[in-house]
Amino acid sequence: MTADPHPSSLKDLEARLSDARQRAGIQQEEERDARTDGGPPPTSAMGLALRVGIELAAGLAVGGGIGWFLDRWLGTSPFLLLVFFVLGAAAGMLNVYRLTQAMNAPDGRGGGTA
Amino acid sequence: MAEAHNPLEQFLIHRIVPIKVGGLDISFTNSALWMVVATILITLLMTQGMKARALVPGRMQSVAEMAYEFVAGMLRDNVGKEGMPYFPFIFSLFMFILFANLLGMVPFSFTTTSHIIVTFALAIVVFIGVTIIGFARHGLGYLKLFAPSGVPTVLLPLLIVIELLSYLIRPISLSVRLFANMLAGHTMLKVFAGFVISLGVLAGWAPLAFIVALTGLEILIAFLQAYVFAVLTCIYLNDAVHMHH
Repeated sequence: MTADPHPSSLKDLEARLSDARQRAGIQQEEERDARTDGGPPPTSAMGLALRVGIELAAGLAVGGGIGWFLDRWLGTSPFLLLVFFVLGAAAGMLNVYRLTQAMNAPDGRGGGTA
Repeated sequence: MAEAHNPLEQFLIHRIVPIKVGGLDISFTNSALWMVVATILITLLMTQGMKARALVPGRMQSVAEMAYEFVAGMLRDNVGKEGMPYFPFIFSLFMFILFANLLGMVPFSFTTTSHIIVTFALAIVVFIGVTIIGFARHGLGYLKLFAPSGVPTVLLPLLIVIELLSYLIRPISLSVRLFANMLAGHTMLKVFAGFVISLGVLAGWAPLAFIVALTGLEILIAFLQAYVFAVLTCIYLNDAVHMHH
């Protein structure tokens, strides 16, 4: 909090922090179980549905947008738009697939984060 | 009454201090004002809260410590120890979005995160930053992120394009999610508030009760969306630091 005239590097800071922790008798944070606090908030089905929907729509938007710009640039309208629209849809579905995979993982990481 | 209380009127940008540099309009707007308010409040909370440095924390110190613990825990869970150097960035991001969302719940205030350009700017900073971190840590090897292993060579070009697109979707979905949640929630509040007026004393109680519940939900969403934005940033950071899906 106080302005240090000689800012030290991050590593130095880490060493000083662990020194201070040992002197104060505070247990090192790394030794704690990693998943006791700060876990995901209560899962809501609506939040998850919204996330899946946005993921799909964003895929279409990005794919379509890239296709449109490439078409304008290369003068191949409308073929690249059609190709990238489909590819964008595939990418959106890939993202949704990853989302559900993470949800089904045993530790449930990334699951249901609205 | 009806035209003065358009549910979308709350999202209008007003110039407070008009500034023009060259042809650029960089006026200090109501949106900018509430961003500054959020930043000042965060700074006050952290500096004033930690001033006492008490072993048994008071109220403000508790809040400051909880915020620190929450973000540090999130970063440790999702990225691991290598993620800790990025803590200041994730913490600032989380606190800024959280305060911008919560300040939007104050009557007559302005919700800065309800504008796609604001959330998109935040998302693109995350996107570019994560990409730079990935290339800085792995060099050109970071490109292997786009080439899934164990795929037949015939399918590889197609899959690389799809993986690349899926990577490019990230800033869009990140920004649209926050913006859409804020915009929809605040619009819905205003629409139901309009129902209270138009239904009058007799039937107006039903939407009024609904608004009370909705306000609670909106405060939850303000927290949740700040958390989601920060946790997704952590997950993207994890990809850049450890390079696996």
